[in-house]
Amino acid sequence: MNFHKFIKDKVIQMILLVFAIFTIEIFLLPNNYNNFIRIYIPMILVVTYVISIVIEFCTKRKFYNKIVDFINDLDEKYLIAELIKNPNFCEGELLIETLKQTEKSMLENVNKYKYLQEDYKEYIELWIHEIKIPIAASKMIIENNKNQVTKSIDEELDKVENFVEQALYYARSNNLEKDYYIKKSNLKEIVNECIKKNKSILIEEDTLINLHDLDMIVNTDDKWIMFILNQILQNSIKYRKANIQSKIEIYAEKFKEKIVLHIKDNGIGIKSGEVERVFEKGFTGTNGRLSNKKSTGIGLYLCKKLCDKLGIGIKIESVQNEGTEVIIIFPNSSYVQLD
Amino acid sequence: MQKILIAEDDEKLRNELKIFLIKNGYDAEILEKFDNTINDILQIKPDLLLLDINLPNIDGEYICKEIRKQSDMPIIIITSRDSEIDELLCSNYGADHYITKPFNIQILLAKISTLLKRSTLTGNQEKINANEFVLNISKNTIEKNEKEIELTRNEFRILKYLVERRNKIVSREEIMEFLWDSESFIDDNTLTVNITRLRNKLEELDLKSLLETKRGQGYILK
Repeated sequence: MNFHKFIKDKVIQMILLVFAIFTIEIFLLPNNYNNFIRIYIPMILVVTYVISIVIEFCTKRKFYNKIVDFINDLDEKYLIAELIKNPNFCEGELLIETLKQTEKSMLENVNKYKYLQEDYKEYIELWIHEIKIPIAASKMIIENNKNQVTKSIDEELDKVENFVEQALYYARSNNLEKDYYIKKSNLKEIVNECIKKNKSILIEEDTLINLHDLDMIVNTDDKWIMFILNQILQNSIKYRKANIQSKIEIYAEKFKEKIVLHIKDNGIGIKSGEVERVFEKGFTGTNGRLSNKKSTGIGLYLCKKLCDKLGIGIKIESVQNEGTEVIIIFPNSSYVQLD
Repeated sequence: MQKILIAEDDEKLRNELKIFLIKNGYDAEILEKFDNTINDILQIKPDLLLLDINLPNIDGEYICKEIRKQSDMPIIIITSRDSEIDELLCSNYGADHYITKPFNIQILLAKISTLLKRSTLTGNQEKINANEFVLNISKNTIEKNEKEIELTRNEFRILKYLVERRNKIVSREEIMEFLWDSESFIDDNTLTVNITRLRNKLEELDLKSLLETKRGQGYILK
Protein backbone atom coordinates (compact mmCIF):
# COMPACT_ATOMS: atom_id res chain seq x y z
CA MET A 1 0.00 0.00 0.00
CA ASN A 2 1.32 3.27 -1.13
CA PHE A 3 1.35 6.30 1.26
CA HIS A 4 0.92 8.77 -1.61
CA LYS A 5 -2.25 7.17 -2.82
CA PHE A 6 -3.54 6.83 0.71
CA ILE A 7 -3.02 10.58 1.31
CA LYS A 8 -4.62 11.40 -2.00
CA ASP A 9 -7.79 9.63 -0.84
CA LYS A 10 -7.74 11.89 2.25
CA VAL A 11 -7.58 15.20 0.32
CA ILE A 12 -11.24 16.05 0.89
CA GLN A 13 -10.95 15.40 4.63
CA MET A 14 -7.92 17.65 4.76
CA ILE A 15 -9.60 20.47 2.88
CA LEU A 16 -12.57 20.20 5.25
CA LEU A 17 -10.21 20.30 8.24
CA VAL A 18 -8.44 23.39 6.93
CA PHE A 19 -11.83 24.97 6.33
CA ALA A 20 -12.93 24.13 9.90
CA ILE A 21 -9.74 25.62 11.39
CA PHE A 22 -10.21 28.67 9.23
CA THR A 23 -13.80 29.27 10.46
CA ILE A 24 -12.79 28.68 14.10
CA GLU A 25 -10.02 31.24 13.71
CA ILE A 26 -12.54 33.72 12.23
CA PHE A 27 -14.89 33.20 15.20
CA LEU A 28 -12.05 33.63 17.62
CA LEU A 29 -10.87 36.86 15.98
CA PRO A 30 -13.36 39.44 17.50
CA ASN A 31 -12.88 38.15 21.06
CA ASN A 32 -9.70 38.82 22.86
CA TYR A 33 -8.36 35.36 23.37
CA ASN A 34 -4.68 34.99 23.90
CA ASN A 35 -2.38 33.61 21.31
CA PHE A 36 -2.04 30.30 23.12
CA ILE A 37 -5.69 29.39 22.51
CA ARG A 38 -5.52 30.61 18.93
CA ILE A 39 -2.55 28.39 18.20
CA TYR A 40 -3.54 25.49 20.44
CA ILE A 41 -6.93 24.79 18.82
CA PRO A 42 -5.69 24.36 15.22
CA MET A 43 -2.60 22.54 16.45
CA ILE A 44 -4.59 20.00 18.49
CA LEU A 45 -6.95 19.42 15.57
CA VAL A 46 -4.13 18.86 13.09
CA VAL A 47 -2.11 16.64 15.46
CA THR A 48 -5.06 14.38 16.34
CA TYR A 49 -6.00 14.16 12.68
CA VAL A 50 -2.46 13.20 11.69
CA ILE A 51 -2.25 10.56 14.45
CA SER A 52 -5.57 9.08 13.39
CA ILE A 53 -4.61 8.76 9.75
CA VAL A 54 -1.19 7.30 10.63
CA ILE A 55 -2.89 4.61 12.73
CA GLU A 56 -5.37 3.97 9.94
CA PHE A 57 -2.60 3.77 7.40
CA CYS A 58 -0.65 1.26 9.49
CA THR A 59 -3.55 -1.13 10.05
CA LYS A 60 -4.69 -0.97 6.48
CA ARG A 61 -1.21 -1.36 5.10
CA LYS A 62 -0.69 -4.46 7.19
CA PHE A 63 -3.94 -5.97 6.02
CA TYR A 64 -3.70 -5.16 2.33
CA ASN A 65 -0.04 -6.04 2.06
CA LYS A 66 -0.86 -9.43 3.45
CA ILE A 67 -3.53 -9.89 0.80
CA VAL A 68 -1.11 -8.89 -1.94
CA ASP A 69 1.53 -11.29 -0.60
CA PHE A 70 -0.95 -14.17 -0.46
CA ILE A 71 -2.19 -13.47 -3.96
CA ASN A 72 1.35 -13.59 -5.26
CA ASP A 73 2.21 -16.80 -3.46
CA LEU A 74 -0.99 -18.74 -4.04
CA ASP A 75 -1.43 -21.05 -7.01
CA GLU A 76 -5.14 -21.22 -6.56
CA LYS A 77 -5.74 -17.54 -5.98
CA TYR A 78 -9.44 -17.96 -5.38
CA LEU A 79 -8.68 -19.51 -2.00
CA ILE A 80 -7.45 -16.15 -0.67
CA ALA A 81 -10.56 -15.51 1.45
CA GLU A 82 -9.84 -18.67 3.46
CA LEU A 83 -6.42 -17.43 4.48
CA ILE A 84 -7.01 -13.86 5.60
CA LYS A 85 -7.80 -13.25 9.27
CA ASN A 86 -10.78 -11.05 9.89
CA PRO A 87 -9.63 -7.44 9.97
CA ASN A 88 -10.90 -5.04 12.60
CA PHE A 89 -12.19 -2.41 10.22
CA CYS A 90 -15.36 -2.48 8.21
CA GLU A 91 -13.92 -2.00 4.70
CA GLY A 92 -11.74 -5.05 5.22
CA GLU A 93 -14.59 -7.11 6.54
CA LEU A 94 -16.64 -6.16 3.53
CA LEU A 95 -13.80 -7.17 1.25
CA ILE A 96 -13.38 -10.55 2.92
CA GLU A 97 -17.09 -11.18 2.81
CA THR A 98 -17.19 -10.32 -0.91
CA LEU A 99 -14.24 -12.58 -1.64
CA LYS A 100 -15.85 -15.45 0.23
CA GLN A 101 -19.09 -15.06 -1.68
CA THR A 102 -17.22 -14.90 -4.98
CA GLU A 103 -15.23 -17.98 -4.17
CA LYS A 104 -18.30 -19.92 -3.20
CA SER A 105 -20.19 -18.97 -6.31
CA MET A 106 -17.21 -19.76 -8.50
CA LEU A 107 -16.73 -23.19 -6.92
CA GLU A 108 -20.39 -23.95 -7.44
CA ASN A 109 -20.09 -22.98 -11.06
CA VAL A 110 -16.91 -25.00 -11.59
CA ASN A 111 -18.47 -28.00 -9.88
CA LYS A 112 -21.41 -27.78 -12.17
CA TYR A 113 -19.13 -28.15 -15.19
CA LYS A 114 -17.03 -30.80 -13.51
CA TYR A 115 -20.16 -32.79 -12.94
CA LEU A 116 -21.36 -32.22 -16.49
CA GLN A 117 -18.02 -33.35 -17.88
CA GLU A 118 -17.93 -36.42 -15.67
CA ASP A 119 -21.47 -37.21 -16.66
CA TYR A 120 -20.62 -36.88 -20.33
CA LYS A 121 -17.55 -39.06 -19.97
CA GLU A 122 -19.62 -41.74 -18.25
CA TYR A 123 -22.11 -41.61 -21.08
CA ILE A 124 -19.35 -41.90 -23.69
CA GLU A 125 -17.90 -44.92 -21.90
CA LEU A 126 -21.31 -46.52 -21.69
CA TRP A 127 -22.00 -45.77 -25.32
CA ILE A 128 -18.68 -47.25 -26.35
CA HIS A 129 -19.39 -50.45 -24.44
CA GLU A 130 -22.77 -50.63 -26.13
CA ILE A 131 -21.46 -50.01 -29.65
CA LYS A 132 -18.88 -52.74 -29.20
CA ILE A 133 -21.62 -55.37 -29.01
CA PRO A 134 -22.99 -54.83 -32.53
CA ILE A 135 -19.41 -54.55 -33.81
CA ALA A 136 -18.60 -57.89 -32.19
CA ALA A 137 -21.79 -59.41 -33.58
CA SER A 138 -21.01 -58.12 -37.08
CA LYS A 139 -17.52 -59.55 -36.86
CA MET A 140 -18.95 -62.91 -35.86
CA ILE A 141 -21.36 -62.85 -38.80
CA ILE A 142 -18.44 -62.06 -41.11
CA GLU A 143 -16.42 -64.90 -39.59
CA ASN A 144 -19.24 -67.30 -40.33
CA ASN A 145 -19.75 -66.01 -43.85
CA LYS A 146 -16.30 -65.43 -45.23
CA ASN A 147 -16.09 -64.10 -48.75
CA GLN A 148 -14.69 -61.13 -50.64
CA VAL A 149 -17.61 -58.88 -49.72
CA THR A 150 -17.57 -59.63 -46.01
CA LYS A 151 -13.80 -59.32 -45.96
CA SER A 152 -14.12 -55.84 -47.32
CA ILE A 153 -16.79 -55.02 -44.73
CA ASP A 154 -14.50 -56.47 -42.08
CA GLU A 155 -11.79 -53.98 -43.02
CA GLU A 156 -14.26 -51.14 -42.71
CA LEU A 157 -15.36 -52.49 -39.33
CA ASP A 158 -11.73 -52.40 -38.20
CA LYS A 159 -11.75 -48.70 -39.00
CA VAL A 160 -14.98 -48.20 -37.05
CA GLU A 161 -13.43 -50.04 -34.13
CA ASN A 162 -10.41 -47.81 -34.25
CA PHE A 163 -12.51 -44.63 -34.22
CA VAL A 164 -14.49 -45.99 -31.30
CA GLU A 165 -11.29 -46.70 -29.39
CA GLN A 166 -10.10 -43.19 -30.13
CA ALA A 167 -13.27 -41.74 -28.67
CA LEU A 168 -12.90 -43.85 -25.55
CA TYR A 169 -9.33 -42.78 -24.94
CA TYR A 170 -10.15 -39.19 -25.79
CA ALA A 171 -12.73 -39.23 -23.02
CA ARG A 172 -10.22 -40.86 -20.69
CA SER A 173 -7.43 -38.46 -21.56
CA ASN A 174 -9.51 -35.48 -20.48
CA ASN A 175 -10.37 -36.99 -17.18
CA LEU A 176 -8.72 -35.49 -14.15
CA GLU A 177 -8.76 -38.69 -12.18
CA LYS A 178 -6.37 -41.55 -12.56
CA ASP A 179 -7.95 -43.90 -15.01
CA TYR A 180 -5.09 -46.27 -15.54
CA TYR A 181 -3.50 -49.09 -13.69
CA ILE A 182 0.27 -49.42 -13.69
CA LYS A 183 1.67 -52.90 -13.56
CA LYS A 184 4.60 -54.85 -14.91
CA SER A 185 3.98 -55.60 -18.57
CA ASN A 186 6.00 -57.40 -21.19
CA LEU A 187 6.73 -55.24 -24.23
CA LYS A 188 6.84 -58.27 -26.49
CA GLU A 189 3.31 -59.28 -25.57
CA ILE A 190 2.02 -55.77 -26.12
CA VAL A 191 3.69 -55.43 -29.52
CA ASN A 192 2.57 -58.89 -30.66
CA GLU A 193 -0.98 -58.13 -29.64
CA CYS A 194 -0.96 -54.92 -31.69
CA ILE A 195 0.44 -56.58 -34.78
CA LYS A 196 -2.16 -59.31 -34.52
CA LYS A 197 -4.86 -56.71 -34.24
CA ASN A 198 -3.83 -55.22 -37.58
CA LYS A 199 -2.96 -58.48 -39.27
CA SER A 200 -5.56 -58.39 -42.08
CA ILE A 201 -4.27 -55.18 -43.58
CA LEU A 202 -0.63 -55.97 -42.84
CA ILE A 203 -0.88 -59.33 -44.56
CA GLU A 204 -2.81 -57.89 -47.44
CA GLU A 205 -0.15 -55.24 -47.99
CA ASP A 206 2.57 -57.87 -47.60
CA THR A 207 4.37 -55.94 -44.90
CA LEU A 208 7.75 -57.10 -43.69
CA ILE A 209 7.60 -57.15 -39.90
CA ASN A 210 10.89 -57.19 -38.05
CA LEU A 211 10.62 -57.52 -34.28
CA HIS A 212 13.66 -57.96 -32.07
CA ASP A 213 14.95 -57.33 -28.54
CA LEU A 214 11.47 -56.89 -27.17
CA ASP A 215 11.53 -59.26 -24.23
CA MET A 216 11.59 -56.55 -21.58
CA ILE A 217 9.39 -55.58 -18.68
CA VAL A 218 8.06 -52.05 -18.38
CA ASN A 219 5.91 -50.53 -15.67
CA THR A 220 2.84 -49.20 -17.35
CA ASP A 221 -0.80 -49.74 -18.20
CA ASP A 222 -0.60 -52.17 -21.11
CA LYS A 223 -4.08 -51.29 -22.43
CA TRP A 224 -3.07 -47.67 -22.83
CA ILE A 225 0.24 -48.58 -24.44
CA MET A 226 -1.56 -50.92 -26.77
CA PHE A 227 -3.81 -48.11 -27.86
CA ILE A 228 -0.85 -45.78 -28.40
CA LEU A 229 1.09 -48.41 -30.35
CA ASN A 230 -1.96 -49.15 -32.40
CA GLN A 231 -2.26 -45.51 -33.45
CA ILE A 232 1.40 -45.45 -34.44
CA LEU A 233 1.14 -48.71 -36.33
CA GLN A 234 -1.88 -47.50 -38.20
CA ASN A 235 0.00 -44.40 -39.23
CA SER A 236 2.79 -46.59 -40.56
CA ILE A 237 0.24 -48.55 -42.55
CA LYS A 238 -1.59 -45.46 -43.75
CA TYR A 239 1.49 -43.57 -44.83
CA ARG A 240 3.30 -46.44 -46.50
CA LYS A 241 4.97 -46.06 -49.88
CA ALA A 242 2.94 -47.38 -52.76
CA ASN A 243 5.69 -48.77 -54.93
CA ILE A 244 7.88 -50.75 -52.53
CA GLN A 245 7.35 -53.40 -49.85
CA SER A 246 6.51 -51.78 -46.51
CA LYS A 247 8.81 -52.56 -43.67
CA ILE A 248 8.07 -52.06 -40.00
CA GLU A 249 10.80 -52.62 -37.47
CA ILE A 250 10.04 -52.62 -33.76
CA TYR A 251 12.73 -53.06 -31.14
CA ALA A 252 13.63 -51.89 -27.67
CA GLU A 253 16.84 -50.75 -26.02
CA LYS A 254 17.54 -51.09 -22.36
CA PHE A 255 19.36 -48.35 -20.49
CA LYS A 256 20.10 -48.00 -16.84
CA GLU A 257 17.24 -45.67 -16.10
CA LYS A 258 14.94 -46.21 -19.07
CA ILE A 259 13.70 -48.56 -21.75
CA VAL A 260 13.34 -47.08 -25.21
CA LEU A 261 10.96 -48.56 -27.75
CA HIS A 262 11.50 -47.80 -31.44
CA ILE A 263 8.86 -48.18 -34.13
CA LYS A 264 10.44 -47.60 -37.49
CA ASP A 265 8.88 -47.70 -40.93
CA ASN A 266 10.00 -47.04 -44.48
CA GLY A 267 6.95 -44.98 -45.39
CA ILE A 268 6.60 -41.61 -47.04
CA GLY A 269 7.94 -39.78 -43.99
CA ILE A 270 7.06 -36.33 -42.74
CA LYS A 271 8.12 -33.04 -44.31
CA SER A 272 10.84 -31.36 -42.29
CA GLY A 273 9.35 -28.48 -40.34
CA GLU A 274 6.15 -30.42 -39.80
CA VAL A 275 7.65 -33.10 -37.54
CA GLU A 276 7.53 -30.79 -34.53
CA ARG A 277 3.84 -30.17 -35.01
CA VAL A 278 2.50 -33.70 -35.40
CA PHE A 279 1.43 -33.92 -31.76
CA GLU A 280 -0.73 -30.79 -32.07
CA LYS A 281 -4.44 -31.34 -31.96
CA GLY A 282 -5.96 -31.24 -35.41
CA PHE A 283 -2.64 -30.92 -37.21
CA THR A 284 -2.83 -32.85 -40.46
CA GLY A 285 0.15 -31.54 -42.39
CA THR A 286 0.98 -32.14 -46.03
CA ASN A 287 0.57 -35.92 -45.67
CA GLY A 288 -2.81 -35.61 -44.04
CA ARG A 289 -4.10 -33.58 -46.93
CA LEU A 290 -3.12 -36.18 -49.52
CA SER A 291 -6.30 -37.16 -51.30
CA ASN A 292 -6.59 -40.71 -49.98
CA LYS A 293 -5.40 -40.30 -46.41
CA LYS A 294 -8.12 -38.36 -44.61
CA SER A 295 -6.17 -37.51 -41.50
CA THR A 296 -8.09 -36.25 -38.48
CA GLY A 297 -5.13 -34.94 -36.55
CA ILE A 298 -6.34 -36.71 -33.42
CA GLY A 299 -4.32 -39.94 -33.26
CA LEU A 300 -0.88 -38.61 -32.40
CA TYR A 301 -2.32 -35.78 -30.33
CA LEU A 302 -4.01 -38.40 -28.16
CA CYS A 303 -0.83 -40.49 -28.03
CA LYS A 304 1.11 -37.56 -26.66
CA LYS A 305 -1.58 -36.71 -24.15
CA LEU A 306 -1.85 -40.27 -22.88
CA CYS A 307 1.94 -40.58 -22.69
CA ASP A 308 2.07 -37.42 -20.61
CA LYS A 309 -0.51 -38.84 -18.25
CA LEU A 310 1.36 -42.12 -17.93
CA GLY A 311 4.64 -40.29 -17.43
CA ILE A 312 6.38 -41.72 -20.47
CA GLY A 313 8.12 -39.87 -23.27
CA ILE A 314 7.25 -39.93 -26.95
CA LYS A 315 9.00 -38.34 -29.91
CA ILE A 316 9.09 -38.62 -33.64
CA GLU A 317 11.95 -38.47 -36.07
CA SER A 318 11.40 -38.54 -39.77
CA VAL A 319 13.05 -37.99 -43.09
CA GLN A 320 10.71 -37.27 -45.94
CA ASN A 321 10.59 -40.06 -48.52
CA GLU A 322 12.65 -42.33 -46.27
CA GLY A 323 10.53 -43.17 -43.29
CA THR A 324 9.41 -42.33 -39.81
CA GLU A 325 10.60 -43.48 -36.43
CA VAL A 326 8.53 -43.14 -33.28
CA ILE A 327 10.43 -43.41 -30.02
CA ILE A 328 8.68 -44.19 -26.77
CA ILE A 329 10.64 -43.83 -23.56
CA PHE A 330 9.63 -45.75 -20.45
CA PRO A 331 11.46 -44.39 -17.44
CA ASN A 332 12.58 -46.97 -14.88
CA SER A 333 11.39 -44.83 -12.05
CA SER A 334 12.11 -46.12 -8.58
CA TYR A 335 8.70 -44.86 -7.61
CA VAL A 336 6.83 -47.43 -9.67
CA GLN A 337 9.17 -50.21 -8.65
CA LEU A 338 8.31 -49.90 -4.99
CA ASP A 339 5.84 -52.77 -5.08
CA MET B 1 -17.80 -83.62 -28.15
CA GLN B 2 -17.12 -80.99 -25.62
CA LYS B 3 -20.00 -78.78 -24.62
CA ILE B 4 -19.62 -75.03 -24.48
CA LEU B 5 -22.35 -72.92 -22.94
CA ILE B 6 -22.81 -69.36 -24.17
CA ALA B 7 -24.32 -66.99 -21.62
CA GLU B 8 -24.67 -63.81 -23.63
CA ASP B 9 -27.74 -61.63 -23.92
CA ASP B 10 -27.18 -60.23 -27.39
CA GLU B 11 -29.16 -62.59 -29.58
CA LYS B 12 -27.28 -62.17 -32.84
CA LEU B 13 -23.90 -62.39 -31.23
CA ARG B 14 -24.69 -65.59 -29.35
CA ASN B 15 -26.28 -67.26 -32.39
CA GLU B 16 -23.28 -66.47 -34.57
CA LEU B 17 -20.96 -67.59 -31.82
CA LYS B 18 -22.86 -70.87 -31.62
CA ILE B 19 -22.60 -71.41 -35.38
CA PHE B 20 -18.91 -70.65 -35.24
CA LEU B 21 -18.21 -73.01 -32.36
CA ILE B 22 -20.19 -75.84 -33.95
CA LYS B 23 -18.25 -75.27 -37.19
CA ASN B 24 -15.07 -75.69 -35.20
CA GLY B 25 -16.06 -78.99 -33.72
CA TYR B 26 -17.62 -78.08 -30.41
CA ASP B 27 -21.08 -78.68 -29.09
CA ALA B 28 -22.42 -75.23 -28.32
CA GLU B 29 -25.47 -74.37 -26.32
CA ILE B 30 -27.11 -71.04 -25.66
CA LEU B 31 -28.63 -69.80 -22.45
CA GLU B 32 -31.88 -68.14 -23.54
CA LYS B 33 -33.32 -66.95 -20.26
CA PHE B 34 -31.62 -65.22 -17.44
CA ASP B 35 -34.05 -65.57 -14.53
CA ASN B 36 -32.31 -68.47 -12.92
CA THR B 37 -28.94 -68.19 -14.51
CA ILE B 38 -26.70 -69.83 -11.94
CA ASN B 39 -28.87 -72.91 -11.53
CA ASP B 40 -29.33 -73.25 -15.28
CA ILE B 41 -25.61 -73.17 -15.85
CA LEU B 42 -24.94 -75.73 -13.14
CA GLN B 43 -27.65 -77.98 -14.50
CA ILE B 44 -26.38 -77.90 -18.07
CA LYS B 45 -22.90 -78.71 -16.78
CA PRO B 46 -20.92 -77.47 -19.77
CA ASP B 47 -17.26 -78.27 -20.26
CA LEU B 48 -16.64 -74.58 -20.66
CA LEU B 49 -18.63 -71.43 -20.05
CA LEU B 50 -18.50 -68.27 -22.15
CA LEU B 51 -19.90 -65.63 -19.86
CA ASP B 52 -20.95 -62.09 -20.62
CA ILE B 53 -20.49 -59.68 -17.73
CA ASN B 54 -23.52 -57.52 -18.48
CA LEU B 55 -26.42 -59.91 -18.24
CA PRO B 56 -29.99 -58.90 -17.47
CA ASN B 57 -31.15 -59.46 -13.88
CA ILE B 58 -27.80 -60.60 -12.65
CA ASP B 59 -24.20 -59.49 -12.65
CA GLY B 60 -21.76 -61.72 -14.47
CA GLU B 61 -19.15 -61.24 -11.79
CA TYR B 62 -21.55 -62.59 -9.21
CA ILE B 63 -22.35 -65.60 -11.40
CA CYS B 64 -18.66 -66.27 -11.74
CA LYS B 65 -18.16 -66.22 -8.00
CA GLU B 66 -21.16 -68.42 -7.28
CA ILE B 67 -20.25 -71.01 -9.89
CA ARG B 68 -16.72 -71.21 -8.58
CA LYS B 69 -18.13 -72.21 -5.20
CA GLN B 70 -19.66 -75.34 -6.71
CA SER B 71 -17.77 -76.16 -9.87
CA ASP B 72 -14.38 -75.68 -11.42
CA MET B 73 -15.54 -75.54 -15.02
CA PRO B 74 -13.35 -73.26 -17.14
CA ILE B 75 -14.89 -69.80 -17.54
CA ILE B 76 -14.03 -67.27 -20.22
CA ILE B 77 -15.50 -63.87 -19.62
CA ILE B 78 -16.58 -61.87 -22.65
CA THR B 79 -17.10 -58.22 -22.02
CA SER B 80 -17.00 -54.82 -23.59
CA ARG B 81 -15.45 -53.26 -20.52
CA ASP B 82 -11.80 -53.16 -21.21
CA SER B 83 -9.91 -51.53 -18.40
CA GLU B 84 -7.07 -53.20 -16.58
CA ILE B 85 -9.07 -53.05 -13.36
CA ASP B 86 -11.99 -55.02 -14.81
CA GLU B 87 -9.57 -57.67 -15.94
CA LEU B 88 -8.08 -57.89 -12.48
CA LEU B 89 -11.52 -58.18 -10.89
CA CYS B 90 -12.50 -61.01 -13.20
CA SER B 91 -9.52 -63.10 -12.31
CA ASN B 92 -10.31 -62.43 -8.67
CA TYR B 93 -13.74 -63.90 -9.20
CA GLY B 94 -12.20 -67.03 -10.59
CA ALA B 95 -12.52 -66.59 -14.35
CA ASP B 96 -9.82 -68.33 -16.35
CA HIS B 97 -9.68 -65.86 -19.20
CA TYR B 98 -10.97 -62.48 -20.10
CA ILE B 99 -11.65 -61.35 -23.61
CA THR B 100 -12.98 -58.01 -24.79
CA LYS B 101 -15.54 -57.29 -27.46
CA PRO B 102 -15.03 -57.10 -30.34
CA PHE B 103 -12.78 -60.08 -29.98
CA ASN B 104 -10.33 -61.76 -32.30
CA ILE B 105 -12.16 -64.97 -32.94
CA GLN B 106 -9.01 -67.00 -33.49
CA ILE B 107 -7.70 -65.93 -30.13
CA LEU B 108 -10.97 -66.94 -28.51
CA LEU B 109 -10.73 -70.30 -30.22
CA ALA B 110 -7.15 -70.78 -29.06
CA LYS B 111 -8.11 -69.92 -25.49
CA ILE B 112 -11.03 -72.34 -25.58
CA SER B 113 -8.88 -75.15 -26.88
CA THR B 114 -6.10 -74.66 -24.33
CA LEU B 115 -8.60 -74.47 -21.47
CA LEU B 116 -10.43 -77.60 -22.59
CA LYS B 117 -7.19 -79.47 -23.02
CA ARG B 118 -6.17 -78.51 -19.55
CA SER B 119 -9.44 -79.50 -17.96
CA THR B 120 -9.82 -82.89 -19.66
CA LEU B 121 -6.18 -83.76 -20.18
CA THR B 122 -7.08 -85.60 -23.39
CA GLY B 123 -5.59 -83.09 -25.78
CA ASN B 124 -2.15 -83.53 -24.37
CA GLN B 125 -1.14 -85.81 -27.19
CA GLU B 126 2.45 -85.71 -28.25
CA LYS B 127 2.00 -87.11 -31.71
CA ILE B 128 -0.47 -86.65 -34.52
CA ASN B 129 -0.88 -89.63 -36.79
CA ALA B 130 -1.42 -88.55 -40.39
CA ASN B 131 -1.46 -92.07 -41.91
CA GLU B 132 1.58 -91.75 -44.18
CA PHE B 133 3.62 -89.99 -41.49
CA VAL B 134 3.53 -88.94 -37.86
CA LEU B 135 3.88 -85.39 -36.52
CA ASN B 136 5.82 -85.21 -33.28
CA ILE B 137 4.61 -82.07 -31.51
CA SER B 138 7.12 -82.02 -28.70
CA LYS B 139 10.10 -82.39 -31.04
CA ASN B 140 8.83 -80.52 -34.12
CA THR B 141 9.62 -83.46 -36.36
CA ILE B 142 7.99 -85.68 -39.00
CA GLU B 143 8.48 -89.38 -38.59
CA LYS B 144 8.09 -92.06 -41.22
CA ASN B 145 9.33 -95.63 -40.95
CA GLU B 146 11.94 -94.93 -38.28
CA LYS B 147 13.15 -91.96 -40.29
CA GLU B 148 12.86 -88.60 -38.59
CA ILE B 149 13.25 -85.14 -40.07
CA GLU B 150 13.41 -81.97 -38.07
CA LEU B 151 11.27 -79.02 -39.14
CA THR B 152 11.59 -75.38 -38.22
CA ARG B 153 8.83 -73.96 -36.08
CA ASN B 154 7.09 -72.33 -39.04
CA GLU B 155 7.37 -75.35 -41.31
CA PHE B 156 5.93 -77.49 -38.55
CA ARG B 157 3.06 -75.11 -37.95
CA ILE B 158 2.21 -75.00 -41.64
CA LEU B 159 2.27 -78.76 -41.95
CA LYS B 160 0.17 -79.24 -38.83
CA TYR B 161 -2.34 -76.70 -40.13
CA LEU B 162 -2.55 -78.57 -43.44
CA VAL B 163 -2.89 -81.93 -41.69
CA GLU B 164 -5.80 -80.60 -39.67
CA ARG B 165 -7.46 -79.51 -42.92
CA ARG B 166 -6.62 -82.52 -44.98
CA ASN B 167 -8.04 -82.77 -48.49
CA LYS B 168 -9.22 -79.18 -48.37
CA ILE B 169 -7.74 -76.33 -50.33
CA VAL B 170 -6.06 -73.94 -47.94
CA SER B 171 -5.28 -70.47 -49.27
CA ARG B 172 -1.95 -68.77 -48.70
CA GLU B 173 -3.84 -66.05 -46.89
CA GLU B 174 -5.35 -68.52 -44.44
CA ILE B 175 -1.91 -69.94 -43.67
CA MET B 176 -0.53 -66.45 -43.21
CA GLU B 177 -3.31 -65.47 -40.82
CA PHE B 178 -2.80 -68.64 -38.85
CA LEU B 179 0.94 -68.01 -38.58
CA TRP B 180 0.39 -64.40 -37.57
CA ASP B 181 -2.04 -65.51 -34.89
CA SER B 182 0.69 -67.73 -33.52
CA GLU B 183 2.97 -64.68 -33.49
CA SER B 184 5.10 -65.56 -36.45
CA PHE B 185 4.82 -62.41 -38.53
CA ILE B 186 6.20 -63.48 -41.88
CA ASP B 187 5.75 -61.87 -45.27
CA ASP B 188 4.68 -63.43 -48.53
CA ASN B 189 8.22 -64.19 -49.64
CA THR B 190 9.08 -66.00 -46.44
CA LEU B 191 5.97 -68.11 -46.76
CA THR B 192 7.07 -69.21 -50.22
CA VAL B 193 10.50 -70.08 -48.87
CA ASN B 194 8.95 -72.01 -45.97
CA ILE B 195 6.67 -73.98 -48.26
CA THR B 196 9.56 -74.82 -50.61
CA ARG B 197 11.68 -76.03 -47.72
CA LEU B 198 8.79 -78.02 -46.33
CA ARG B 199 8.33 -79.59 -49.73
CA ASN B 200 12.03 -80.51 -49.90
CA LYS B 201 11.85 -82.11 -46.49
CA LEU B 202 8.76 -84.03 -47.48
CA GLU B 203 10.64 -85.21 -50.54
CA GLU B 204 13.33 -86.67 -48.34
CA LEU B 205 10.64 -88.92 -46.93
CA ASP B 206 9.15 -89.59 -50.38
CA LEU B 207 6.03 -87.67 -49.41
CA LYS B 208 6.36 -84.84 -51.90
CA SER B 209 3.30 -85.87 -53.89
CA LEU B 210 1.09 -85.24 -50.85
CA LEU B 211 1.47 -81.47 -50.93
CA GLU B 212 0.01 -79.97 -54.05
CA THR B 213 -0.16 -76.39 -55.21
CA LYS B 214 -3.49 -75.22 -56.57
CA ARG B 215 -2.64 -72.31 -58.79
CA GLY B 216 -4.35 -69.14 -57.65
CA GLN B 217 -6.11 -70.90 -54.79
CA GLY B 218 -3.53 -72.26 -52.40
CA TYR B 219 -2.31 -75.62 -51.22
CA ILE B 220 -3.85 -78.97 -50.53
CA LEU B 221 -2.53 -81.90 -48.53
CA LYS B 222 -3.82 -85.11 -50.04
